[in-house]
Amino acid sequence: MKKLLALLLVGAMSLGLVACGGSNTSEPAAEASSVAVETEAATTAGTEAEAEITGENPDITAEISLWTYPVGDWGKEDAVKELIAGFNEVYPNITVDVQILDYAEGDKTVTAAIESGNAPDLIFEGPERLVANWGAKGLMVDLSDIWSTDVSAGIYDSIEAACKGTDGKYYEYPVCMTAHCMAINRDLFEAAGALQYIDEETRTWSTEDFQKAVEALVAYGHTNAGAVFCRDQGGDQGTRALVNNLYGGTFTNAEHTEYTANSEENIKALELLKSMEGINFDASLVGGDEIKLFSQGVLGMAFCWNVGAEKGEDGQSAQFDILPMAFPSDGTPALQGGIWGFGIFDNKDANRIEAAKVFIQYMTQDDVDYAKAVETSTYWPVREISIYEGDEIMTEYGKFMQYMGDYYQVVPGWAEARTAWWNMLQKVGGGTDVKTAVEEFVTTANAAAAAATAQ
Amino acid sequence: MTNQVYTKRSRALVRRETTAAYLFLLPSLFFFVVFVIYPMIMCIYTSFFDSTMGREDIFIGFTNYVNLFQDEIFLGALKNTTIIVVVSVPAVCAFSLWVASVIYDMKGAACSAFRCIFYLPVVTGSVAVTVVWKWMYNNYYGILNYVGTKTGILDTNINWLGDSRFALWCIILILFTTSVGQPIVLYVSALGNVDNSLVEAAQVDGATRFQLFWKIKWPQIMPTTLYILVITTINSFQCFALIQLLTSGGPQHSTDTIMYYIYYMAFTLYKYGYANAMGVILAIIIAVLSAIQFKLAQSNT
Repeated sequence: MKKLLALLLVGAMSLGLVACGGSNTSEPAAEASSVAVETEAATTAGTEAEAEITGENPDITAEISLWTYPVGDWGKEDAVKELIAGFNEVYPNITVDVQILDYAEGDKTVTAAIESGNAPDLIFEGPERLVANWGAKGLMVDLSDIWSTDVSAGIYDSIEAACKGTDGKYYEYPVCMTAHCMAINRDLFEAAGALQYIDEETRTWSTEDFQKAVEALVAYGHTNAGAVFCRDQGGDQGTRALVNNLYGGTFTNAEHTEYTANSEENIKALELLKSMEGINFDASLVGGDEIKLFSQGVLGMAFCWNVGAEKGEDGQSAQFDILPMAFPSDGTPALQGGIWGFGIFDNKDANRIEAAKVFIQYMTQDDVDYAKAVETSTYWPVREISIYEGDEIMTEYGKFMQYMGDYYQVVPGWAEARTAWWNMLQKVGGGTDVKTAVEEFVTTANAAAAAATAQ
Repeated sequence: MTNQVYTKRSRALVRRETTAAYLFLLPSLFFFVVFVIYPMIMCIYTSFFDSTMGREDIFIGFTNYVNLFQDEIFLGALKNTTIIVVVSVPAVCAFSLWVASVIYDMKGAACSAFRCIFYLPVVTGSVAVTVVWKWMYNNYYGILNYVGTKTGILDTNINWLGDSRFALWCIILILFTTSVGQPIVLYVSALGNVDNSLVEAAQVDGATRFQLFWKIKWPQIMPTTLYILVITTINSFQCFALIQLLTSGGPQHSTDTIMYYIYYMAFTLYKYGYANAMGVILAIIIAVLSAIQFKLAQSNT
């Protein structure tokens, strides 16, 4: 009997240790969700449909939570609290609890919070999560009412399209945007005689010039010209943009319903990259690692770059002249866009939903407050508003906004497709035939898209 | 009459003590039920459903289990996990026993110093340990490549974590260094508890050093060995943090482990039912292996 009990205990302990959350299981609550509502309305929980935005009710009383991914200084608690302090001067009865997420663990934290019924009221991230993921799963509040304001009419069409779900509802209200670019070590390029292959004025270069520049770096002795990093999804917009731009390929179709990475252009681009001496497919690096290596002068160019990287710790520590560039392309470059904004989780509490909408309105509708919110992000506004006059770095990076390409990250099943992408790059780097690897990627990604659509 | 009263009082005392004992157990029992038993039951229950975020679960019977064994990535993860366990567990046990035997004979201060050194990776946070190892393995400026190329052992730098031929072995090496600390301390303690009179008697009878260890000391430290085997096996099966921080299961799934794949399925793809089915399979494997280890250890003592 004792033996049986001991075995049962071993089984119980080990099963308990490996047990993981289900939608109905007791997955631990998110670490810092401290949502509480102080009003009577809280007890009569409403639904998304019941929520009506007033935006002019400074007497609204609620305690709401805001979780932000590290988008520029929106990833710094002090900076966010400063914005909230401004908000509380107008709305003193709305308390906003902030939690800063990171990209490594953030999704896990949010998932655990959703499953335990402790999702935050407000979340600050991009359409790939807010629209394509949580919005598509019916977890977010429709923000159509805020989108109907006069100010919203000024938001760029491409941004608006990205914030709208396939069901026509708006699950994100945008705050800022950027165009992800790449960067080169100008000093190294100059020393290697490779500056001749780039257009410093327009910051563009052709695919042939890119090849010649890499050859020049290698001939100069800098064998680590660039790395196609593919340890996981961190910074993967860089590798996608690189592959798509070389020969004008696309990642998805225009309707964002299926993946087109197996096109001739993309296959040719991957074969070119694989064949180039000086370009390593490196499965030990993510985008952040690549930025570090570039800033240290180890890599001659970075495919994961934007103004945030230049202004960040790594960019500022670089001992050479960093030259941001568009991705090499034989036509007009199409850069990957980054869009970030607010979404509201439908926590079935009309009062908190209204308070969250008031917060979004405060941060986005008035030009002065909106400018502060955008500046905190270190990126650009999503509508015409003058913010960075006289700022040299922003002016320099502003050149790339004209190259902003299609925002396709809202395809259903995006999370699985992202994983399949870097797995595909690892296979190509490991010697698998490019066509085979890419076909496998497209099959997996399209199956994920179909499954997500069917759901 | 006197006896009867005494018996009643005795019973009352026993009952009171028993009640007190159960009351003391209650807080632990509460946490055990809430954080172990309940998740365990839910894990098994959910594994029979197509469970994901944002919609009702759909009962699918054993489909998750059937799909598991047709999932090449899961089978690869199972193979990798098995390699980690098969290599890591005997290596950790043998190495820690050897080190413990050597440092046990040392003077007090030296013995303590070595115990501290070997225990250091255990008390150091896994993230800190991982950062150091990541630097050592770095493809571009890591110390392993630096020493290797400078001494002529390596022709060119090796991408230790980015090459599917080496990545899993690199993980096993880190796991090994972080796993030996506790067994060494336990073995040193166990060797100190070996009955010295038996050792002396064996020496008087002319036993060799090997016989002394194998016939006298080994049986007496068997309970410690059993504990170390079980704990190391479970830790090896649950290798997760190293994978997540260093390789994300790559390159080309060469470092995928079941634990990492569970995490990926649950938190990236939100396939909770499928992830829980994997959890159940992993738990069964661990339970069976632990039972075998108990049985073998019992027959040896």
